[in-house]
Amino acid sequence: MIRKTKSSATERRNLRNGLLFCSPVIIGLATFTLYPVCASLYYSFCNYPMLKPPVWVGLANYQTLFHDPVFYKSLGNTAYFAALATPLGIITAFFMALLLNQKVKGMAVFRTMFFVPSIVPMVAGVVLWLWLLKSDGGLINTILGALHLPTPGWMSDPAWSKPALILMSLWGVGGWMLIYLAGLQDVPVDLYEAAEIDGASPLQRMLHITIPFLSPHLFFTLIMGFIGAMGYFTQAFVMTSGKGGPVDSTRFFSLYLFQNAFMYWKMGYACAMAWILFILVLLFTLFLFKTSARFVHYGGEK
Amino acid sequence: MRTSRNVRRLLCFILIFSLALCAGCARDRSSGARGAKVVISVWHPWGGSQKERLADVINEFNRAHKDIQVRAVFTPNDLDSNQKFFTSVAADMPPDATFVDGPQVAAWAEQGAIAPLDSFIKASGIKPEDYFAPCWQQNSYRGKVWAMTYCADPNFAFAWNKKVFRECGLDPEKPPTTIEEIDRMNDRITKIDHGRIVRIGIIPWLQFGNANAMFTWGWAYRGSFYDPKTQKVTANDPNAVKALEWMVSYAKKFDVTRINGFAAGFGSRDQNPFYTGQIAMQCLHISQLDDIKQYAPDLDYGLTFLPAPAGGEVHSSWVGGWCLAIPKGSKHPKEAWEFLRWCCRDPKGTQAVGRLQSLLPGYRKSPFIDEVRTKPGYSQFLRIMEQCRHQRPVMPAQSFYMGSLDRAVDYAVYGRMSCREALDESTKETQAELDLRLAGR
Repeated sequence: MIRKTKSSATERRNLRNGLLFCSPVIIGLATFTLYPVCASLYYSFCNYPMLKPPVWVGLANYQTLFHDPVFYKSLGNTAYFAALATPLGIITAFFMALLLNQKVKGMAVFRTMFFVPSIVPMVAGVVLWLWLLKSDGGLINTILGALHLPTPGWMSDPAWSKPALILMSLWGVGGWMLIYLAGLQDVPVDLYEAAEIDGASPLQRMLHITIPFLSPHLFFTLIMGFIGAMGYFTQAFVMTSGKGGPVDSTRFFSLYLFQNAFMYWKMGYACAMAWILFILVLLFTLFLFKTSARFVHYGGEK
Repeated sequence: MRTSRNVRRLLCFILIFSLALCAGCARDRSSGARGAKVVISVWHPWGGSQKERLADVINEFNRAHKDIQVRAVFTPNDLDSNQKFFTSVAADMPPDATFVDGPQVAAWAEQGAIAPLDSFIKASGIKPEDYFAPCWQQNSYRGKVWAMTYCADPNFAFAWNKKVFRECGLDPEKPPTTIEEIDRMNDRITKIDHGRIVRIGIIPWLQFGNANAMFTWGWAYRGSFYDPKTQKVTANDPNAVKALEWMVSYAKKFDVTRINGFAAGFGSRDQNPFYTGQIAMQCLHISQLDDIKQYAPDLDYGLTFLPAPAGGEVHSSWVGGWCLAIPKGSKHPKEAWEFLRWCCRDPKGTQAVGRLQSLLPGYRKSPFIDEVRTKPGYSQFLRIMEQCRHQRPVMPAQSFYMGSLDRAVDYAVYGRMSCREALDESTKETQAELDLRLAGR
């Protein structure tokens, strides 16, 4: 009896101390994350131009949104980008990782070279690409022209502006490549040896050994890549000077949200958009978990 | 026992550390009270060389004022949005004075971000006639005056490249005076090689963005954009539609993707296609006089009034430029007003601004106006200024309107919508936005 009270007293003290130790983080989280999130939900039901007190308007913001053609356009743009950039990025990073996993002289140099683009500051990278993608005299079109291939208008052609941004996004997949590379080093060599002795072809070895072993990494990057693509903003903003042109073809969801919030000061409307995006990302991520999780193998699993 | 003491020590440390942090944050507020000199902060939008020139203006001010000292703070401001400023007003810690883009004055006033200046204006004996009319109109909203014009930009001068004119067999001393002449000259000037544009006469929508182009040509065609009496947006005015149709005719003639591809990448100032002779006719902003001196000193060009179509408005142009305002909640409004008055109305002050920053003052009796009357470049801009009749719509949804017109021109130029449809759409959505803001009073 006595022992129990004593231990619970210790426990309580530990809990108190623990909470006190955590308090900077807890307070920070509450003030800078929890409060803004809750406030944004409230503001999404308000007409709120920032400097005046928010006025409750019920579902009006959501109703306007569902009749706003630009909202659908921006959602479509974002879906297009996420659906293409994420898988393409994963495939590119995966093959880069496979190549950089070979035992070749000077591999460290190659690995560094492929990783460097992902630490280039985003805006600097975009400005660089602005020049590469210039339709007259840009490096990419000069090369395409020399090969007698069609030279698209890239950022001045609504049909090519999104592919141009997707191309640019592939340049920065070094981070994912590194994750895969780490995963590849963990694949037991004896499995490959055994498979080779059994007469498995390189393709079979990749399909049945490499990919299953890498599936947690692939799944992780799929989820993170998808969430990142849904929030795609900076590159499009810099590339089009914040306009999302031509003809709205690069007006992504987050860009439109930003314009509403900080250019037109429609904070309530922007909050409503943010919540819709949040719900969409949540639902789709759940969907990915439900559908893809069974393809993912973890080392310790039976 | 020992561990718990250590724990307590550490907690104490965290507590003291965070208190120190808080104290650090709060310290800034109580300065300025000590000493006779009042320090006021002014937020401005200029980087680069203009920042240094503004510093010179402020030094002049500080020298002329024993009891006030101005501290200039650079705050990026992309015309319609100034996040830092708005946040500071919302947090009740605004600067004492701030620069505001002229067309945004009404919106900022409606938002409650800036305070009316009428009592100061009355006390200083300032009259509307002291200023170029559109400048004063731009700063007047709902019967009050909210800002003072720091610099009046006559938008725009029409510039033509004499060297290119000569090369194309055109008279270099005869710029186009009508839209029809522009078209004819453009046909002579434009050179296409293997489907690539090498040189073009004019790109109508590339005049400081789609929306500014729409206003510029729209007024030349006698279009109207807003009726302040009925508070109705009128972008789909038949004359404005005609102006847009003229712009779109170039997109059809030369394939818009090709033109915009040609124009893309002209990001930096030294790459301006007019400076390099790739575009022969373009609207020019007054600040570009200095740019050209710096980046293209050999450019042989002329400046004139904007051409108009047959039956259009001759010498149409509109006023832009930066204004100074006192934010709501300014801690030193009296001293801030003295800064406004000195920069925007004082003969010495306006002269200093003009001389040091190469900008035209809005105060039409400023000695600087007489100084530049014969100065090449400036004299043309001054003549344009004196004939300016327009300012962008004075209404709280101005930046939304700009964005909307920007899209409308984009859609029309790319052939996704007819000119009429595009401007109808813009009228409808801007009206809805305006009504929302007016209702939210």
